[in-house]
Amino acid sequence: MKIFKNIALIGLLMVTAYSCTEYVDYDPAENYEIVADIYFESSDDYESAVVGTYDPLQWMYLNILIGDIASDNSLCGGESATDVVGLQEIDDMTHYASNDNLTSIWTWCYEGINRANYLEENKEKLEFDGKAALYGEVYFLRAYYYFELVKFFGDVPLFTEYRLTASDSGTLERSEASVVYAQIETDLLNAIDALPTTVSQSGRVTKYAAQALLGKVYLYQDKFTESAEVLENVIGKYTLVSDYASQFLSSGENGTESVFEVQHSSASEWWDWGYTPQGTEGNYGIIHNGPRGFSGPTYASGWSFNVPTEDLYNSYDENDTRRDASILDMEAFAEANDASYTEGYEHTGYYNHKYIPRAGESDAQTELNYGTNYRSIRYADVLLMAAEANNRGGVSDTKAQEYLNEVRRRAFGDTDHDITATGSTLTDAIWAERNFELAMEGHRFFDLVRTGEAADVIDGFVEGKHEVFPIPQQEIDISNLTQNDGY
Amino acid sequence: MKSKILFLSLFLVASFTFGQTTNVSGTVSDSGNMPIPGVNVIVKNTTKGTATDFDGMFALDDVPINSTLVFSYLGFQTQEVVVTRGNQTINVTLTEDAEALEEVVVIGYGTQKVSKISGAVSTVKRENLEKLNAVRADDALQGQASGVNVIGAGSPGSKPTVLIRGIPSYTGTDPLVVIDGVTQTLDDLNSLNTSDIESINVLKDAALSAIYGVKGGNGVIVVKTKSGKRNTKTTFSLNSSYGLQQVINKIDVLNASQYVAILNEASANAGEGIIFSDISGYGKGTDWQEEVFKTAPITTHNLSAQGGSELTSYFVSAGYMSQEGIVGGGDKSYFDRVNFTANFDTDMTDKLKLISNTSYANIKGSSIAENSITGVLSNALNMDPTVPVYDEDGNYGVSETITQEIVNPVALIANTYNKSNTNKLTGKLELQYDVLDNLKFTSRFGYTYVDVYSKNFYPLVYYGTGHNSTTANADLSAITTTDDDGNETDLYSNRVSESRTNYFNFTYEMFANYNFNIGDDHAFETVLGMAIGKNTGDNITASAEDIPFNSWKYADVSASTDSESDTSSSWQYETRNISYFTRINYDFMNRYLLSFTGRIDGSTNFGENNKFGFFPSASLGWLVSEEEFFNPGVMTYFKLRGSYGTVGNDNIEAQYSTISTFPSYTFGNEIASGSTLETIPNEDVSWENQIQYNIGFDTRLFDNKLSISADYFNKTVDDLLFDPTLSLYLGSPEYPTTNIGKTSSYGIDASIGYNSEFGDNFKLSTNVSFTTSVNEVKEINNGNKYIDGSGYGIPYTYITRFEEGYSPGYFYGYKTDGIFQNQSEIDAHATQDGAVPGDIRFVDVNGDGEIDDDDRTEIGDPFPDFTVGWNLALDYKNFDFNVFTYASVGNDIYRAYERNLNYTNRFASVLDRWTGEGTSYSEPRVTFVDDNNNTRASDRYIEDGSFIKIKNIQLGYKIPDDVVKKNGLDQIRIYGQVKNAFVFTDYSGYDPEISNGDDSVLDTGVDRGTYPQPRVWTLGINVKF
Repeated sequence: MKIFKNIALIGLLMVTAYSCTEYVDYDPAENYEIVADIYFESSDDYESAVVGTYDPLQWMYLNILIGDIASDNSLCGGESATDVVGLQEIDDMTHYASNDNLTSIWTWCYEGINRANYLEENKEKLEFDGKAALYGEVYFLRAYYYFELVKFFGDVPLFTEYRLTASDSGTLERSEASVVYAQIETDLLNAIDALPTTVSQSGRVTKYAAQALLGKVYLYQDKFTESAEVLENVIGKYTLVSDYASQFLSSGENGTESVFEVQHSSASEWWDWGYTPQGTEGNYGIIHNGPRGFSGPTYASGWSFNVPTEDLYNSYDENDTRRDASILDMEAFAEANDASYTEGYEHTGYYNHKYIPRAGESDAQTELNYGTNYRSIRYADVLLMAAEANNRGGVSDTKAQEYLNEVRRRAFGDTDHDITATGSTLTDAIWAERNFELAMEGHRFFDLVRTGEAADVIDGFVEGKHEVFPIPQQEIDISNLTQNDGY
Repeated sequence: MKSKILFLSLFLVASFTFGQTTNVSGTVSDSGNMPIPGVNVIVKNTTKGTATDFDGMFALDDVPINSTLVFSYLGFQTQEVVVTRGNQTINVTLTEDAEALEEVVVIGYGTQKVSKISGAVSTVKRENLEKLNAVRADDALQGQASGVNVIGAGSPGSKPTVLIRGIPSYTGTDPLVVIDGVTQTLDDLNSLNTSDIESINVLKDAALSAIYGVKGGNGVIVVKTKSGKRNTKTTFSLNSSYGLQQVINKIDVLNASQYVAILNEASANAGEGIIFSDISGYGKGTDWQEEVFKTAPITTHNLSAQGGSELTSYFVSAGYMSQEGIVGGGDKSYFDRVNFTANFDTDMTDKLKLISNTSYANIKGSSIAENSITGVLSNALNMDPTVPVYDEDGNYGVSETITQEIVNPVALIANTYNKSNTNKLTGKLELQYDVLDNLKFTSRFGYTYVDVYSKNFYPLVYYGTGHNSTTANADLSAITTTDDDGNETDLYSNRVSESRTNYFNFTYEMFANYNFNIGDDHAFETVLGMAIGKNTGDNITASAEDIPFNSWKYADVSASTDSESDTSSSWQYETRNISYFTRINYDFMNRYLLSFTGRIDGSTNFGENNKFGFFPSASLGWLVSEEEFFNPGVMTYFKLRGSYGTVGNDNIEAQYSTISTFPSYTFGNEIASGSTLETIPNEDVSWENQIQYNIGFDTRLFDNKLSISADYFNKTVDDLLFDPTLSLYLGSPEYPTTNIGKTSSYGIDASIGYNSEFGDNFKLSTNVSFTTSVNEVKEINNGNKYIDGSGYGIPYTYITRFEEGYSPGYFYGYKTDGIFQNQSEIDAHATQDGAVPGDIRFVDVNGDGEIDDDDRTEIGDPFPDFTVGWNLALDYKNFDFNVFTYASVGNDIYRAYERNLNYTNRFASVLDRWTGEGTSYSEPRVTFVDDNNNTRASDRYIEDGSFIKIKNIQLGYKIPDDVVKKNGLDQIRIYGQVKNAFVFTDYSGYDPEISNGDDSVLDTGVDRGTYPQPRVWTLGINVKF
């Protein structure tokens, strides 16, 4: 009896003591966390999410480096044969499915796409002024990311409805490249409809940028007439800067020739190597291109990757102002300016002059914060694409010559170097011109593949295999995707 | 209430009694004057009797004069006392009838006699703790407690890896630490003064740890600190020691002459020219290891006082511990600790007792980079030996040829500036209320407050022109660059960062202990209670550039001359939990033991659909030696035990879907902040449930001189928490942790002890503990079937894995098969790109005729097959001698401190390199262009890390009593001690104990230049007065 009495006493005490399970409920606001449920309630939230969708553009330094390293333009370089093995292998065309760098590209592009899709998912939650134009930017960005994917990997999983969740893992299959291209076209056409021609902030997508990208996307599918047509809208809306080299300086950023430019800044004070390139506003590609152990004026030290070959240097006409603007002859520079440097792996003596670390253009952890923008689509590119589309589509060789020569006149400062050829000779001239104009800007490999020249030009390139890169092994393991041929 | 019971008792016994009777009362205590609760007091040859209460008190009314009272209690010799007069006070001191039997073990929310425990517990006694002189309490557990695997750390004050019974999970293997009933963490042991510790018990199986529910899965370390005793005079105790620490061994690297010769050969082999045209005159060059290792002092002073009056007892102590590191030493690597402890308890009324424990600790420290390729030791091993420590101008010597990572380690130490200052207050306020003799309420508020301040300064440094770590010119002036417009800017700035972190954790517990008997044979000990707790932490960090004079002296955010460079950040967290718990111990006839434990835990960290978890356990024990049929011969005591139960692993975070406002983008030159989805919740997520069972026995033989205890355990986790590896096309948000894995661990822990006295003067005490566990990852449902653990090097290569079908954290890489002696061997082998004669032959594990990533396989296991600790104590007259030996067998080490750049130094093994057919079958050629990638992660870097360490040798001498007493003292003992006296191992690195420190357990065994444990020579004195 005593026992029961005591047990009852204890029980009573327990019950009265604390019976409140609310004590262990958690409100994320306690830690100042914003939860998804209360987001997309104001236009600011949408605006913010669009900025977040731009963000992955800044990460894609590898896409740009590989555009030249994989091609005949440059060697991988670096410190040694094992410095960034993934890039070394791509340079040597020995790359295979396990490649950290390709995995990064894949993941970055898909993060961009998912961020765009998150906006798509929440599109109907709120109406506000300027929403259509804002979604124009979103569709452009999604197209941009898918275009990168399809260029690199060919057939890729395609989804547009919502930000994927954990339960979607492993459920998707690759869509044919043509289907992905169709979606890119749809997105860009929607973007073109919605976007304004002028914007208040540099770096925002314009209607012309969307048209230029669409022209490029058509060109990649050999849709020449469509390409010529859409690019025609951009012709005359921009002007080539007179001094070719000036546009690659910080003072030349967002200039009259800039159709679409990925923006960077040195002001984010970024220190964390671990969350690079995602965390910084800087351009992580720049430090890769820098001269190793450099000491001297104008430039700053870097990691000696992506070193241009002597063949590229020699391919230029001596009078072509683009040679020295594109390629820095370091031996000559060092001698003239009492500068010193050390030789890296695969040293050629040349450096990428367009995207080289320049003195004073970084901050905080220097390597991570170069503010150099990436000139993604320049007007010169638009002219050359239009020239090619007009020529190859049989639209007008006259127009093609006109656009081509506009680019050449700026390069040589005269009309003596004008091209008068037509037909396939003209095509060859345009293709050659693309590299004179756009070398070391990350386009070369994809142009070579697109035009079918890659096997002739790139050592080790296997036709039917190397046109696309392998789907990352990790993704194949997790998601059961098929692999590209030959890998 | 009491009067009613007395009345009831009176009524009950009145009918049996006649003749002259009286009331008797008194206290029953043990030889140490500690009251013994629960002693049966029976009037001989009657059924009349009672039991002592929590304070060892008893009262019996109407006892016939001249009757005999029988005092009996398990583990003590039964004693009889005759009642001789009226109202007699009978104070009885019971003597233990066997040495180990009487031991009381502190378990969760109560204590229990060892003989009544049916779960698995390991105990470390104070004597052993004192002899070890350990800086941290967890270090003292190594080899002393069976079932506990401790991998020691060398860096001053740093946390060892502590694994209690295997590795059931890859996250959070730290056991729970409970100090005087207050739950803490393993990290908190850095602030505990080891000389304040009375005992450490390790609760190993579910039967004992389930009372801690979701926190009990990794085992529980229960620490009891010292307290005073009632009615004892104050005794003071002073302990001081001074020791010198030295590195035990050095690693063989090339000296300067060897280095230049090998470099010439490597360059020539690569088809490049000779580098050093004249290789004579280089001599030995700089021995960088010699330059960075120092003989460093370690000092401890402890003063304590304990005692008690009738109503109060107390223990107060002050401690000081100062340890310099053997790497860097001085103000660059040290750990200083000051402790003040005050433990009081007082009887406020007859029934109400107040216990107040308070400990304050201040810890100051500084550390150097370790266990990474950029750490001091890695630099000392890889630095060019031809470079002098200082050049002719007195500046730090620099290498002209090494341009990345590896630098002059002496300069690196000099350029390391950091400090931390921790203030910590922990303790409890506890009220115990005796409602009845055998019913006690406890209300306990335990708290921990920590305030950590730390500062780091990164000065401008010069390690050679063009070196990627160089941030200044040779004269340490800022490197300026000039752009085309002639503007000059500093390329790098120095930087300081300061951070302040506060933690406040409390637990409020209320529980009742109720012990009762039903009849003579059924004894119950019960606990019922609840706990609420809260853990909070917050941090604010600021940093700034451009500190004046590039000087540590001015290194403060407030001193920055560039206000625009200021940055700040902060974080905070709060978790809350609420729990209900109970335990019922039942014993029948003192020989059949049954125990049930259960705890319900709720936490803010648990998913919405799994807010509360229930963790039950049950155990059975059978004291065979108490049976009638048991015939005590050689064996005097035998107990069988078994338990089964569930405990948790509290390693998840609160689940909710958040928006990150971290993403940003630049428009023009304006940075715009953006947003995206950051985390996705898993509403169903739950803690890891471990199912554990344990069977074991305890026995004593040969007059209790020999004791043996052994346990077999088996743990399985069916719902291991994972950050799932999901399709990459989902992008990169944080995907929710899910319960998708399965592990199992089983093993045996055993201890054997032998204590004996030979004559009056010689006493021997020895015990051996044995620990083994086999761990296997049974299932990972994350697609990959593995997660990468830890790695090394540049580029970073993963080397450990947590993979289905393997032991957790095993080493993963290529297998080697000797050296290609000639081209025909290469041709006969699977395709191995870049191989030439003299290169390593890798094994084509999958047999596809090609050596590639798919040929990587299991190449080692960082965890030992078993560990053994052996403690031997001898006392002869006034001398005492103690040796502690610890062995770890079967643990592999991955040697990851070799940088392998062309111009970095090489290791002595290269002297046996391949230089032509038949010259070497294990060591490849040297070359500047390693197309075969001989340095890839392979079993070439795996070494057997098995070792036997004589961890401790101590010889003490007690100054004879007559001398001591003359001077008014009670005892003086002086001693000499050598820690890590001898190490027997085949491992070529510094120390085969490679702790994971604060990182994941999957980092164990990767030696990137780990701070080795020093050999310590100590002299000390203990004085009591």
